[in-house]
Amino acid sequence: MYRKQKSATLAVVMVFLVAALATGETTRTEMHFKVGHRASISIVNAYGPISVKPGPGKRVMVTAILYSSKVEIDQNKRRNRVTVFSHLLDGADEESGRVDYEVQVPADASVTLHSTTGPLHVEKIHGDVILEGSTAAVDVRDVSNGHVHIKTLNGAVTLTNVSDGHVEITSVSGDVALNGVNGSLVHVNSSSGKIHYDGDFGDAGDYSLTSHTGDIEAIAPAYASIEVVARSVQGQVENDFRLQPEHTSFVARAGSAFAGTMGEAASSVKLLSFSGKIHLKKR
Amino acid sequence: MTCEEFERVLPELGSGSSIEQEAHLRLCPACSELVADLNAIAQQARYLKASEEPSPWVWNSIEIALRQEGLIRQETKPSRVPVPLLGWKLRWLVPLAAAFLIAFGVLMFQRGTGQPRLAEQPTPAGGVVTAGLQPMASDDQQLLNTVAARMPSMRAAYEANLRSVNAYIRDAEESAHSDPNDEVAQQYLRNAYEQKAMVYEMAMDRSLP
Repeated sequence: MYRKQKSATLAVVMVFLVAALATGETTRTEMHFKVGHRASISIVNAYGPISVKPGPGKRVMVTAILYSSKVEIDQNKRRNRVTVFSHLLDGADEESGRVDYEVQVPADASVTLHSTTGPLHVEKIHGDVILEGSTAAVDVRDVSNGHVHIKTLNGAVTLTNVSDGHVEITSVSGDVALNGVNGSLVHVNSSSGKIHYDGDFGDAGDYSLTSHTGDIEAIAPAYASIEVVARSVQGQVENDFRLQPEHTSFVARAGSAFAGTMGEAASSVKLLSFSGKIHLKKR
Repeated sequence: MTCEEFERVLPELGSGSSIEQEAHLRLCPACSELVADLNAIAQQARYLKASEEPSPWVWNSIEIALRQEGLIRQETKPSRVPVPLLGWKLRWLVPLAAAFLIAFGVLMFQRGTGQPRLAEQPTPAGGVVTAGLQPMASDDQQLLNTVAARMPSMRAAYEANLRSVNAYIRDAEESAHSDPNDEVAQQYLRNAYEQKAMVYEMAMDRSLP
């Protein structure tokens, strides 16, 4: 009986100890900034996620969870520009230097986020979005009227419902998925990552999806209005649409290249891969 | 002095040129054009300084590196505001370096004389499959050493991505050489160099602590 009681007590103590270790070393900090129209918000975080959503009024609210005392938060507000920065101290590593950020900004703010490990998430804002991360996965959704510039090494990039801005994505080996993305300029430059586009290519846009070895898959509705050029030097190309033939600067060899127009050819679409497979699919 | 010898001393030309180098420049229109182009790029890049402000991460990285080297000591009470260790006058060097890398790569390729070191090695068909077998150029190796010193866990990722980009550059160069009038091949080449510049910029600038 005594032994059972002792075991139960020990178990309870262990549970509390584990819980204390898990939660005891984190510190939650909140920062508030008043800003004006089209403010610029920059968050630089060595390790850890950053999530940005629109908030009420002309205020920026930053909630940061620090995982140790080896990292601290530096903040700076100059006029309409807010900078928040994870300042790593001696000995900080991926675990102890981690900070989780949740940020609320005015919907018209421009956002610049840097994190090595990420992930990075931005939704429902109308300003420019500039995101950079080495291995950070990037997710941007419901963003309009702003430019979206993304750079990753091998972090995957997902854009959903992004419209009316310039979209420029450079990723060495991260897969890139664009769903419902259109704008006057949509450029994706990848080395070995796959590129997936699902949308109607909008109106009067310049779309360029380029990869070295990664496959490119573009899915468009039958009503899409495009002038398309697809070419893979060493890979295969496939096309589900009936295109009106068009003159090209290169020899369009069957199976490795095609070119032509659909509808009024409102947007220009280039699908270029060196050795990846290209497929223009009908939705 | 030959063009090859001149290109070897090109990086040191900023600190003044010898009589022999000046004589070569006068006689060789190709080299003098190259120097004129590089000067033009350097001039243009200076205008970037106002628009391309490096992130605070740069200063933090430099601070950590200097602290690790023992060149500066840990502050007893760390400042809440990151203080740049370099003056604002030098900040423009970061975008300049990235711009210069792209421009120099494209220029050297278009001149057809200064191939990147990797391209001098025998290039097997299908750069992707064999990319991992290619040895790293010394610049790349140096970059990886820097990454490893600052964040060891990222070294493998950077190495894999550098190999991928180098394979891209090799294939793009071959493609552009085989048909210099092919616009698509030129596009591949620009994209490949842009990727390499991005990897260097990330490693040196923002993406590492």
